[in-house]
Amino acid sequence: MSVQPAMPKSWRVDTKPHKFCPGCGHGLVLKALGQAIDELGIQDRAVFGCDIGCSLLAWDFFNVDTIQTHHGRTTPVITGLKRANPNLVGIAYMGDGGGYAIGSQHLVNAASRNERITVILVNNTQYGMTGGQMAPTTLPGQKTETTPYGRDPEKTGYPTQGPEMVAAITREGAYVARGTVANLRQLKNYLKKALENQMAGNGFSFVEVLSTCPTNWRTNAEETWKMVEQELPRYFKVGEIKVPGGQKEGEANG
Amino acid sequence: MPDKPIEGEKRVFMTGNEVVAWAALVAGADIMYGYPITPQNEIMHYWTRLAPKFGREFLQTEDELSAGFTTIGGVLAGRKAFTATAGPGNTLMQEPMSMAEAMRLPTVVVIQQRGGPSTATVIYSQQEVTMTTLGGNGEGLRIVYSTANHQELFDYTIKAFNTAWKYRFPTFVLGDGYQAKMRESLTIYDPASRGIELVEAEPFLGKPGVPGVDRPPTQLRNTYNVEEELYEVLEGYFKDYEKIAPEVAEHEAFGLEDADLVVVSHGVVSRACKAAVKELREGGIKVGYFRPITLRPLPVDAIRETASKARQFLVVESANGQLARLLKEVAYGCPVEMLSLFKPGVGITAEDVVSRVKEIAG
Amino acid sequence: MEAYIGEYASGKSEVAVNRAIFLARSGRRVNLVDLDIVEPCYTLRPIKKKLTEMGINVVAWETREMMGLGETGCIFHPANRWALKLSGDVILDIGYGVEGAKTLNLVEGAASDPDLKIFAVVNVARPMTGSVEEIVQYVRTLGKVDGLINNSHLGDETTMEFIQEGARIVGEAARQLGIPVVATTALEELARVIGTHDAAGHPVWPIKRYMPQTLW
Repeated sequence: MSVQPAMPKSWRVDTKPHKFCPGCGHGLVLKALGQAIDELGIQDRAVFGCDIGCSLLAWDFFNVDTIQTHHGRTTPVITGLKRANPNLVGIAYMGDGGGYAIGSQHLVNAASRNERITVILVNNTQYGMTGGQMAPTTLPGQKTETTPYGRDPEKTGYPTQGPEMVAAITREGAYVARGTVANLRQLKNYLKKALENQMAGNGFSFVEVLSTCPTNWRTNAEETWKMVEQELPRYFKVGEIKVPGGQKEGEANG
Repeated sequence: MPDKPIEGEKRVFMTGNEVVAWAALVAGADIMYGYPITPQNEIMHYWTRLAPKFGREFLQTEDELSAGFTTIGGVLAGRKAFTATAGPGNTLMQEPMSMAEAMRLPTVVVIQQRGGPSTATVIYSQQEVTMTTLGGNGEGLRIVYSTANHQELFDYTIKAFNTAWKYRFPTFVLGDGYQAKMRESLTIYDPASRGIELVEAEPFLGKPGVPGVDRPPTQLRNTYNVEEELYEVLEGYFKDYEKIAPEVAEHEAFGLEDADLVVVSHGVVSRACKAAVKELREGGIKVGYFRPITLRPLPVDAIRETASKARQFLVVESANGQLARLLKEVAYGCPVEMLSLFKPGVGITAEDVVSRVKEIAG
Repeated sequence: MEAYIGEYASGKSEVAVNRAIFLARSGRRVNLVDLDIVEPCYTLRPIKKKLTEMGINVVAWETREMMGLGETGCIFHPANRWALKLSGDVILDIGYGVEGAKTLNLVEGAASDPDLKIFAVVNVARPMTGSVEEIVQYVRTLGKVDGLINNSHLGDETTMEFIQEGARIVGEAARQLGIPVVATTALEELARVIGTHDAAGHPVWPIKRYMPQTLW
């Protein structure tokens, strides 16, 4: 008889094991999110919205009401929901393509309006579900199906600095951080703060999570871990970027 | 805060866009999401002036994609939510509305048609019929009311909320730039004073109780794995749509009993056609008048019956045959000859219709 | 110099046009200035030629001088800025909009010219100016107003009773605001029946409807 590993209380047991690839970071992000939901006791009023891309595989992941939307459109759906019923805790969950490419106008404007929602964006440096194409976050030199010779920043730019952008366009009350699946305790802490910030009505809350995609990176466990622990942080700085009250390191925005 | 926007009823004089704002108010709309585009702007202008007086909300979004998807969010939260748009905005609106179709979400969208394709004019057309009835990647599982005057804009905007929440298909009120900007008198009323019961909204997400403990979680999706899975869902939808179609479909007609030629039109153009048919009949020319009020679903039986009796249809529209295409499909197999008076993006007068009929009659 | 302001669709332009024509016919030199910068339809453009033929100097765009009307916005005609410097009578038709009356700030000298009279046009068939209380509240948001015009009507369904009822309501609102009712307007046929003054004693201005020709 197999023994189920310990899971967050808010996870839906009958849909486990989940459907993400072995070594995928999504399961880890969703574990940290589940723990944050448990600790805050918001299973009854959280609404989880997931995008298109691998994030949509989370559509039956939690014992939490869930809406699976269109590519890039999770931010406005959760915005509309939260505006219509402010008692709910709205979580918009998406990938780097959904948040930084096709849905970037929604991210920018929701942040500018200081929408009281929590956006969690999982950055695995490429489009996973469509078969590993270049994303706004693809690293210079990284090979993908649409950059077969490696991403050339001269032609296609440098990786999008999402949290830095969000921090620059939000005002007081916003919470912005970049976590990583390589540090789950810290990640859970960020996610919890992002949810608390929404619940306190302070403002927009945004957490980018550096994640893994061994399937499309074509990496073994060791290489995968090296990529997320060492390569990604060379372009994406992990840490809190903006905290209401301004009490954290690296605060530079007025 | 006053309870009701209108007590009893009142004869008033206003523009069509204002009518929509008042109608949404009395229909119990909780929140409007919108993005500026001419000629629907005054719907937002008046909603934002009126809404706070009655505890209603508004959000101006970054584009029509967002306006449509936030409307979906509002509906999911259990609120009567609506948006309004036109032309290129309607094009963007097709993406969220296809999600509303896929998930049977009772969104309400008011369209004030403008010239097309592309930016064209902000003025007027009937060129958004195909897009509003059948747009998006889907099967047209929608309800579309095409109004002809301010009274109808008021009546059918109220009805649109009831239809949407009763049948759970995205519902559209299809107006146009002329109706949006024209001024005329109408009676605005409290629906209760006319015995109109407002269908209650209810939440899809965030119902009471802990999901997985007190109730199963509500998990809604529009993505399926295999063809059969999707097919099964759609079959159910088609069956539902077919069942409600006769209840929903509406039309207006006269003079069909002795008419060889029937003038068919919709929306604001039907005003000119009605006047023309009356004039022609008074002059002893036996023509009939037929106007579908719902363009989705169409009044199929009435159209087929008319197309079986009459020898000719004269389809009149401010588009290059968008209504005509819908009619041809419905009337397939009927011996009626289809004639046309198409003026895409341009208004049509009763004189235009009279002279076209006389030309046909020889 | 008179400026006509008021709620959306209250009939500002109609009153302004009729006033300009009346003054022109009495032999005066009249300038009619289109200051509507919100509403791209129902402006004076389409009837500019007709008014010009009546001897009125119309300061307004012509439709074909514009591009992407309503899409590019309603551009403020440069000549409008100097409207009050024109010689002769000046009739200003001011558009609606939140703080529509502030459009006058765009006109040089509007704040200081003692000869400029600002009249608010009111139609009690408009739901937001339907009662004494609503009219008083509304007119107070407009800033300086020198008088009210009772332009109450229901389009084709207008009756003499409706106009008289409007005169009573607008009259009471004016009393509370401490300003006069300058006139009650009525289509010529109805004006003949009402006489030179309405039941509340305000002078009657017979008007013709020109604006329905101007939709877009």
